[in-house]
Amino acid sequence: MAKQRKQPIIRRSIAALLTAYYGVCGVPGARGYAFNEIVPDVRQPASISGGSACPVPSHQLIAPGSIAEQWSTVLGTNPVTIRTQDQTAAGRLNEIEQAITQSIAAWTGVSGTTLAPGTFAPVTRIAAQNACGSDGVNSICLDQADGAFTPGILAFTRVITADIIGARVGNGAAATQVGQILDADIYFGPSSSTITFATPAALASAPTSYDFESLLIHELGHTLGFSHSAVFAAMMYPFAPAPGTFSGSRPTTQKPDAPLGDDDRTGLRVLYPDPGDTVNVGAVSGRILPANPLSLPASPPGVTGIFGAHVVAVDSATGAVIGATLGGWSCVAPGPAHFDGSYGISRLAVGHSYQVYAEPLDNTVYPSLVSPATASLCRNPKTDAGWPPLQACVVPAVNTSFTTRTRPGL
Amino acid sequence: MSYVQRRRFLWILFLGGLALLAIAASATTLSRLKLEDLAQESTAVARLRCLGTTSRWEQGEIWTEATFEIVQREKGALSGIVTVRLLGGSVGHLHSRVEEVPAFHTGEEVYLFLWGHEGEPYQVLGWSQGTFRIKRNPQSGLEIVTQDSASSAVFDPHAKTFRRGGIRHLPVAIFREKLHKALRQENQ
Repeated sequence: MAKQRKQPIIRRSIAALLTAYYGVCGVPGARGYAFNEIVPDVRQPASISGGSACPVPSHQLIAPGSIAEQWSTVLGTNPVTIRTQDQTAAGRLNEIEQAITQSIAAWTGVSGTTLAPGTFAPVTRIAAQNACGSDGVNSICLDQADGAFTPGILAFTRVITADIIGARVGNGAAATQVGQILDADIYFGPSSSTITFATPAALASAPTSYDFESLLIHELGHTLGFSHSAVFAAMMYPFAPAPGTFSGSRPTTQKPDAPLGDDDRTGLRVLYPDPGDTVNVGAVSGRILPANPLSLPASPPGVTGIFGAHVVAVDSATGAVIGATLGGWSCVAPGPAHFDGSYGISRLAVGHSYQVYAEPLDNTVYPSLVSPATASLCRNPKTDAGWPPLQACVVPAVNTSFTTRTRPGL
Repeated sequence: MSYVQRRRFLWILFLGGLALLAIAASATTLSRLKLEDLAQESTAVARLRCLGTTSRWEQGEIWTEATFEIVQREKGALSGIVTVRLLGGSVGHLHSRVEEVPAFHTGEEVYLFLWGHEGEPYQVLGWSQGTFRIKRNPQSGLEIVTQDSASSAVFDPHAKTFRRGGIRHLPVAIFREKLHKALRQENQ
């Protein structure tokens, strides 16, 4: 599958000054939305693999009611894991479920995507404590001990993706698309004396608790295929708001996606584009090249541009980070990926002016934190026995040793 | 863009930057483990060289086991080959992923803070927080250490605040000094 690159239709300039500004002021690097990428298994027939070794982002199947989500009603009680305003047994569950429903609505409320409110089936309850597991059912568990928890981990989402059509998890439905997410379970840390969560209604009276809704919206982003973003205002920023506070704004009926940042919305539009959207159709693309090609790594061979640069689009009027990408590669069917310095930021609203800057991943975001978006771009005979050499590649190390400059004339 | 527009744009960025810096004192889904905490909570600490990884289904989940040879033991009774268990991995046509779980490559050298029970595979304490990768400068031979979570502002549940920090670009010798100091504090 070819990675689509639209022609630039928005004013473009590489602003080294902005890079310097952010560096001096210490504002974290603005790694924008990123997706978990999967290389289809081209050892299988093209009818089920697509035949291309180009990476595809993990994604949910989009159809009415296609994403089901259940949640375990078993809650930690010693101490209370989730604080609620309503203390009755039924009231607690209703309050938590309302937060879950609102969290889903934050994502389905974004315009310009095919992820509509009806894409999620109504959430269901399950009385089992250990509802999370690789069974093909998306689950939220609030008091399930898991062998992966160690001190220092509050919550996580485990996502299972298929690399061919027909793969399945447990008794779940078989994948009908390459890159389809088959199971995504959200684990909140089980009972702890130091970590608790609170529903929006209870947060004001629980200043030491994390906002359950903010964390859940973030984790649901993983369920939809997102990796982390380094944009502060993004919900996919990897760190929850301080206890007693919440991310963004609370959702309203008029604006259910209020908690999300622009970067989240742009990412969602890229991942689930609405073909009927006429507003968010702008794109910026190009290549990041070194002044001296000899500075490029000799190994692996074939690297012709900077790999791993952050390329960020900033709205010139507001200064807001609208979207960003991890640049450095392109792919045309039948693949593999080429590390030629290409980047592309798409689904930008037309009628705006944007400034674009590039920065190395050596400030507040390090290559290890973006490994899900970089390490999985290639497969080869060493990683996968029998992989066809002509569709094989090796991901180069993220280049963090370049300095951006404005090219004369831009 | 005119000079006036450019100045206005930079002012907006500046003010936005100040606002963001204020927000930066916020939290994370990880709870902060300082080097002293890692030293205290860990079962073992060592410089390790990755020998390889394998993934398999176990108790309904895909787990990856990474095996390491010991380069230098710093804490705990480690011997022979060390096995570390990590949630996620790839088996058949299924790819299981969890953000912040470290991935290792054959030949890579790391300092790991290990957590677990004797006789069972270890886990990496705090995932990205307990992972310190070693990079060697091919020209100078200098080895530097960077913590996977070094870029992260993480929440300190004791101080009830978020802190930035971690170890980045630290020469191995200095890192070991800090590590030994943390381990001595643990024994006091």
